Amino acid sequence: MAAKTHRVLPGFGLALGYTLVYLSLLILLPLGGMVLKASELGFGQIIDIALGERSLAAFRVTFGASFLAAAVNAFFGLIVAWILVRYPFPGKRFVDALVDLPFALPTAVAGITLATLYAGNGWLGRFIEPLGIKVAYTPLGIVVALTFITLPFVVRTLQPVIEDIETEVEEAAASLGASRWQTFVKVIFPAIFPALLTGFALAFARAVGEYGSVIFIAGNLPLISEITPLLIISKLEQYDVLGATALAVVMLALSFILLLAVNLLQWWTANRHKNNEPLEVTAAKASGGAQ
Amino acid sequence: MSIEIRNISKRFGNFVALDNINLNIPTGELVALLGPSGCGKTTLLRIIAGMESSDQGEILFSGAEASHLHAREREVGFVFQHYALFRHMTVFENVAFGLRVKARKERPSDAEIKRRVMELLGLVQLDWLADRYPSQLSGGQRQRIALARALAVEPKVLLLDEPFGALDTKVRKELRRWLRRLHDDMHISSVFVTHDQEEALEVADRVVVMNHGKIEQIGSPDEVYSSPASPFVYQFLGNVNVFHSRVQGCYAEVERNESAEKATAFVRPHDIDITHQPSEEGLQATVQHVHPIGPVVRIELLHGSEIVEVELSRERHEALQLAVGQSVWFRPRQMKVFNGDDLLRSTPEKQAFLF
Repeated sequence: MAAKTHRVLPGFGLALGYTLVYLSLLILLPLGGMVLKASELGFGQIIDIALGERSLAAFRVTFGASFLAAAVNAFFGLIVAWILVRYPFPGKRFVDALVDLPFALPTAVAGITLATLYAGNGWLGRFIEPLGIKVAYTPLGIVVALTFITLPFVVRTLQPVIEDIETEVEEAAASLGASRWQTFVKVIFPAIFPALLTGFALAFARAVGEYGSVIFIAGNLPLISEITPLLIISKLEQYDVLGATALAVVMLALSFILLLAVNLLQWWTANRHKNNEPLEVTAAKASGGAQ
Repeated sequence: MSIEIRNISKRFGNFVALDNINLNIPTGELVALLGPSGCGKTTLLRIIAGMESSDQGEILFSGAEASHLHAREREVGFVFQHYALFRHMTVFENVAFGLRVKARKERPSDAEIKRRVMELLGLVQLDWLADRYPSQLSGGQRQRIALARALAVEPKVLLLDEPFGALDTKVRKELRRWLRRLHDDMHISSVFVTHDQEEALEVADRVVVMNHGKIEQIGSPDEVYSSPASPFVYQFLGNVNVFHSRVQGCYAEVERNESAEKATAFVRPHDIDITHQPSEEGLQATVQHVHPIGPVVRIELLHGSEIVEVELSRERHEALQLAVGQSVWFRPRQMKVFNGDDLLRSTPEKQAFLF
């Protein structure tokens, strides 16, 4: 018989029950309904809709742009988080608060603002368009909008982890002869990599589902700059509910697989150095080994 | 490699961490920096390691100016109180780190690295843990790994910042002895910081007692314990009873005459003897507590309103049969008198006191 472990805070059963009900109502039920609706179509039909030229292009734009945006943020978000944690500078709190703005701003506002900025006659657009870089109403615009929207995810996931790195570890590396670059690559980066992956996954997931900001800057040209969420909406507007559901289900499945993969990778990098052997065993061997 | 510290000063804002420190550490010596927290001992160690810069003064390694060198160029091994091991690396990789980051032309081959690391792990008797991660080790094991890691780059100087501070008493004792042996085998200079006087006295060749950013005394463990240079050293190293006395000639009088200058007399608890007979040179007191602690018996006497601590051997206590509430006489066998301005007063050949 398993010994009953006593915990400081009781109520595991209640809490688990609540969690399951909550998740069921909020996530499983709507998603399940969607899958049920989609099952009115055959598997073959769903695949047919998903592999249509227009939907395929939309998937490519959605996932491609999301991936790029998340990757851009993984890099620059790391720098922002690093600066915010490690260096004191005037206006630091202000910058820190600025990072959260994309969370708070209605995404449509963000989209319109970015579109205005990057349009051919906008403040930024008028300088970069002569250089041959067209941002507004192109897939590049989608990447810009998604980068804006997902910045906080990477920064906020990394901040506490960077704060946790003891400066002693860096000093130890320096005293062992490591250059700054070696210290970063060999000591600091491995420590923050799992969190960076988490931030990346969160940003990516958010970007895949983003609608409001993108439609204003994307131009929404079928086959070029049309994202899947928009395609779903347009199908709904034509009362093609089944078609919309089919696309949604495929998107759901793809997102789930990608997120699962990232999470597995994240879990692996975070846990490979603590394949937890009980401490007692180690301690017993230790007393055998120490003189 | 010898270390010379010249006129080092360091402030943090208004706080003076180090105030004009001068210290020479000859090659091969094991030196303890001893003092209460906030006395500047860790700051001094970090300045030697190049992890902190001094506001003034210079550090010389083997007679050559080293103040401008970055930590990675100083060839110094540093051991931290909380180990600072690389969590995502195995024990083997932790120890190998210093070798692997060497410039390509100096870097040993993989086989050589493996040989050296296993040799070091053998030295710290943890070669069977090579594949583990630091989180799987006990505190004592982690600190030994940290030492092996510091030694891997063959430093000329080993610096240890409260190396055993986070460990329990038994492990700490074991590691102390082991550090001493290691130091003797490696022929390097070592400096370690501690606030534990027992540790400093047991391990070090020389003890540097620090307080408020200044060096109070430098000397062998025996010197600093038996002839402390200042009241601070007296009080920091071991228990002590403090009597306010007046000095007359070479006699320190506690409680007698109203003449002469004020002074303070220091007596160690084990330098006090207790008798049942009234004695001319003793003071009367009542026994307040009797605590047998291991090999000694600690007695608390109440003299007037002051508590006097006395340590008796078990045999002496057996002979005296002290009971709480009893009235007894006590007199010091040895004492040290300091003037009000902290200068040593009594001359050793005439350990004079009169009660």
